[in-house]
Amino acid sequence: MMKTFSIGGIHPNDSKISKDCRIEVLPVPSKVYISVAQHLGAPATPIVKAGDQVKVGQVIAEPAGFISAYVHSSVSGTVKSVGPRKDIAGNNVVHIEIDVEGDEWVEGVDLTDTIVTEIPEDDKATLDKIKMCGVVGLGGATFPAHVKLCPPPGNKAECLILNGAECEPYLTSDYRIMLERSKEIVIGAAIMKKVLGGCPAVIGIEENKPEAIKAMSEAVAELQKTAKGYEGISVMSLKKKYPQGGEKQLIDAVMGRQVKSGGLPISVGAVVQNVATSLAVYEAVQKNIPLITNVMTITGDCLPMENQHNYKFRIGMPLSYIAEVAGGIPEDAVKIVSGGPMMGKAIANLDATTVKGSSSLLYLTAEQTVRGVESACIRCGKCAEACPMGLEPFLLNKYARNNMMDELEENAVQDCIECGCCLYSCPANIPLLDIIRIAKGDVIRIIRGRGQR
Amino acid sequence: MTQTIIWTIAILTILGALLAVVLYVVAEKFKVEEDPRIDEVEKVLPGANCGGCGQAGCRAFAQHCVQSESLDSCFCPVGGNDVMQKVAGVLGVEVAAKEPMVAVVRCNGTCENRPRTNEYGGYQSCRVKAALYSGDTGCSFGCLGCGDCVAACQFGAISMDPATGLPVVDEEKCTACGACVKACPKNVIELRNKGRRNMRVYVSCINKDKGAVARKACKAACIGCGKCAKVCPFEAITVENNVAYIDFTKCKLCKKCVAECPTAAIHAVNFPVIKPKEE
Repeated sequence: MMKTFSIGGIHPNDSKISKDCRIEVLPVPSKVYISVAQHLGAPATPIVKAGDQVKVGQVIAEPAGFISAYVHSSVSGTVKSVGPRKDIAGNNVVHIEIDVEGDEWVEGVDLTDTIVTEIPEDDKATLDKIKMCGVVGLGGATFPAHVKLCPPPGNKAECLILNGAECEPYLTSDYRIMLERSKEIVIGAAIMKKVLGGCPAVIGIEENKPEAIKAMSEAVAELQKTAKGYEGISVMSLKKKYPQGGEKQLIDAVMGRQVKSGGLPISVGAVVQNVATSLAVYEAVQKNIPLITNVMTITGDCLPMENQHNYKFRIGMPLSYIAEVAGGIPEDAVKIVSGGPMMGKAIANLDATTVKGSSSLLYLTAEQTVRGVESACIRCGKCAEACPMGLEPFLLNKYARNNMMDELEENAVQDCIECGCCLYSCPANIPLLDIIRIAKGDVIRIIRGRGQR
Repeated sequence: MTQTIIWTIAILTILGALLAVVLYVVAEKFKVEEDPRIDEVEKVLPGANCGGCGQAGCRAFAQHCVQSESLDSCFCPVGGNDVMQKVAGVLGVEVAAKEPMVAVVRCNGTCENRPRTNEYGGYQSCRVKAALYSGDTGCSFGCLGCGDCVAACQFGAISMDPATGLPVVDEEKCTACGACVKACPKNVIELRNKGRRNMRVYVSCINKDKGAVARKACKAACIGCGKCAKVCPFEAITVENNVAYIDFTKCKLCKKCVAECPTAAIHAVNFPVIKPKEE
C-alpha cells in the first residue's frame, strides 16, 4: 500500500503536458530587472547604484534581517537604475535594472559539468555558503534555506524530506530536474543531511512520475556505491493526491506524523526541502554558483505542443520576453498564471520579471477560469472532507462573513494552507478560500498582537 | 364548572403575587449600581450603534462620556454638535463645537480616465481583491470598485456610480462615522471637514507613483509636480511621495490650485457656478 497523507485531499487531473520537453536554456535578454524581494521575509537592501559594473554572480543586495536572503546579479553589465517597478501582482517593489554586456562571471565559480560527489566536512562553512549564495526554498514559499537548516536549540532533525511530489497540475519543472539532474539533487540532499546531523533522508515522489522515481533511485544507488556519505538516503513513491507537496501533508505521508496546530515541522523532527532547493544547495556548496537560475514550465491546454517548454531561466528576465521566446501567447488564453492552477497567482503585469521562485507561465482558457455563480451552502460537507488540514471551511466561511474572530481562532483558521481544495470541491461555487484567506490574515494579526503585549 | 374557574383564577393570582415578591427581592438584592446619567445620555444619542465614535455602541459611548472628565475626547459623528450640546447639558459640562466632517473619495479613476489593464474575475470584494493584487488598472493605489464602502455604510450614504465605477458620497446622508474609511483597503476615503457652505477643495488622487507612471495609469492622477504647492498662498498644500495633499485646516478655499493642476486632479465641490459673461 503506497503512502499518502491521511486527511482530506483532492484528485485534480494532473495535465502534465510538458513533461517530455527537455530543459532548454533561455538566452539572456538585453536588459534584466532584478527584484530585491524574492524571498519570504524582509526585502534585501541594494548595495549597488546606477553606473556600477557588475558580473554574473556578484552580490547586488544584502539581507535586511534574520529571515532575508542575498540577491545576486544574474548577468554581467552596467547597473542602469535602482528603483520601484511593478511585480507580477502590480505592486511596487525595488528592482535593480541592469544593461547586459557579455557574460562574465565572478571568480571562484565552477561552470564545468563535472559532478562533485565529495561532501565537505565543515558544516559551518557549508551553511555559510548556502546563505551567501542566497539559496531559498523553491517549493513556493521561498523561505531562506539556511534558516530551515539550523533547527532551533532543543529540536533535533530526525528526517530530511525532499519534496519531489510536484502535486500541482501542469507543472513539470521539478520532474524534469529529477530526470536530468538526479545526481546533483541527491548530492544536495546528502549535504543537507550532513548539516542536519546525519539524519536519514527520504525523497518523496508521486506515483504518476515513474520515470523520476526510477532516475532518482538509480542515482541514489550509484552514489551509495561509488562515494561516501550517502547512506540513509532513499526514494519513496507516494500515492497521487493534491496537496501532497504541502509541507505538513508530506511529513504525514512520509513519516506518518502530524504537526500540531501552530507547530513547525521541526517539532516532529522533520525538515522539508524541495528537490529544486536541493539542486540549488548542490550548486552553491559544490560549485559556488549562487541561486540565479531556476527551471520554469511554459504550458497550458491551449498551447500547441511545440510551444510547450521547460526553461532554465535567470532571475530578472521579463515574463513578456520569455513568453515571446517560447512562441507567443496563444490567442484563446485569457489568464496567465505564475505557479500551478491550484495555488499559483494570476499575472496582472507581464512586464514583471522572473524571481528565484518563478515556476511557470501557465495559459488558461476562458472555460478553465470562469467562476460559477455562487449559490447557498447546502451543507454537503465536501469542503470539510477535502480540507487537508482537517478544517471545516463552510463553518469558517460563516464565521468570517460575520466577523466572529474568536470562533475563527477556535476553529483554527490560522492553520489554513490556502491550497484551494475547499474551493475546488464546493458544488455551490462559494468563494471559500477567498474569504478564509482574509479571515486567516486577520486572526494571525490578532494572535501576533497578543504576543507583543 | 364555576368552581373550576374560581379556583384557577385564585391559584394564578396567588402564584403571580408570590413570584412578583420573589422577583422584587432578587432585583433589589442583585441590583447593579449604575450612574443614572448614562441612561439620560443614551436617550439623547441617535441610537445608530455605528461605532463611529470609537466605542462599541451608543450605550458604551454614553458610559464613556459620563466617565471621562471632559468631553474633548468624545464626539458622536452621527449626531454632530447638536447632540454633543445635549450630552453636555445632561452632564453639566461645556463642550467645544467641532467642525462637521464628511467622507471624501480621493480617486478620480473613472473608466475613462483609468483604462483597465486586466480583468478581475474573482470574488467581488475590495478586501479580497486587494489581498490578491494591485487591481485591474495600471494604478495600484486607487479605488478597486467592488463596493466594500457601500456595504459598510449604515446610513445608505454611499453608492457606486455605474458610469464611473467609483463610489459617490451623499453629503446629506453622510454622518462621517468613518466606517467606509475603515472598510476601504486602499485608504482611498478620507474624512475631511465639510467646509464653509459645504465648499471643499481636495486632491482626488493618492497615487504615490512617479509622475510619468501615474499619468500613464490614469489621466487624472496627481503627478506630484508641485505646481499647486507653489501657488497656494496659505501653505496648505504639501507634496510628499509624488502626491499632493491639501490640509483642510489651512485651506481657505481660494481655488488657485484648482486652476493650476495640469491633470485636474484637484477637485473643488459645491462652489457656486459663476455664470459666463454675456458677450
